[in-house]
Amino acid sequence: MPDWQELVRRELACLALEPHERAEVIEELAAHLDDAFEDLRQRGLTEDDAVQRSLREVKDWRDLRRNIQNARRKENIMSNRVTQLWLPGFLTFTLAMGFLALVQHFGPRPIFFTASGTLRMRPPATIYIPWLLSLPLVGALGAFLSHRAGGSRRAVLASIAFPVVPYLVFFLLLLPFALTFEKHARRDIILPLFLIGLIGWVLLPGAALLAGGLPVQLFLSRRPRSSCVATH
Amino acid sequence: MIGTGIKRGTAELAILSVLENGPLHGYELARRIERQTRGALRFTLASLYPLLYRMEKQGWVRGAWETSGSRRRRRCYRLTPQGKKKLSPIREEWAELFRALRLLTKVSNA
Repeated sequence: MPDWQELVRRELACLALEPHERAEVIEELAAHLDDAFEDLRQRGLTEDDAVQRSLREVKDWRDLRRNIQNARRKENIMSNRVTQLWLPGFLTFTLAMGFLALVQHFGPRPIFFTASGTLRMRPPATIYIPWLLSLPLVGALGAFLSHRAGGSRRAVLASIAFPVVPYLVFFLLLLPFALTFEKHARRDIILPLFLIGLIGWVLLPGAALLAGGLPVQLFLSRRPRSSCVATH
Repeated sequence: MIGTGIKRGTAELAILSVLENGPLHGYELARRIERQTRGALRFTLASLYPLLYRMEKQGWVRGAWETSGSRRRRRCYRLTPQGKKKLSPIREEWAELFRALRLLTKVSNA
């Protein structure tokens, strides 16, 4: 029979609760596994089978740890959502927009390339390379903050991609609106403009944000348990 | 088999109802619910304890360590007066929902 206490302690090493509270949780969950094991043995299962069945009580220890933290911490669900999603999301958004404003103001003037050589109208998207290069850092910060607050994978991803969400919504609303209400608009012009805008304001910045955020998320989620990040 | 969404909604009612009959520790509580619902509601460790802790924080249940005859320490949960008060409106809400579903779907014994 495994040492259930040791197993639970190892799996929940990063449980961000007060030490006495964590010890109580570990003892309680270990007792549950112990009861499950004994029960299965009494029902005639072999020791190995009983251990395997008992371990199936928890599919994902990381999820369990997060759920327990969320349940036992003093804040309510709303404030968890604030720390895990809205706060990192707004921070990444503010930083991304701040960097963009700085690049636009102090950075080199954009050079416009056209097929004909002459620019007849303002382009729908200007790709600021220095800004794109700054976005992986912003994405990484969003991932770190959301992960540190105990955010789920979905919350971490949303925090990383938060700066491009308003643009995505804008483009998703703009196209149907333009096609529906602008009677004189030429579809052969609108669609390419929409695509260029989508690439310049959503896809490229989104990829840059993810390029910084995903490795951080991957690194933090695979980090050895001994090096926990406090989530108080 | 009952879907996950409905199960989540019924979980609190299930726990409060079972604890109404007396204090139980987590594993026994899960087994009791599974037995009484003939396997339709099943709590694993991962689904039970976050919910119990949340209910404890809300003041509906209270956990206390007790030592059994076999000298095992188990945390037993009992309904608080606040939990007892909460049980009645939750029951009424669910009864109302079942009545509505019965009228809507004409499913008997919903």
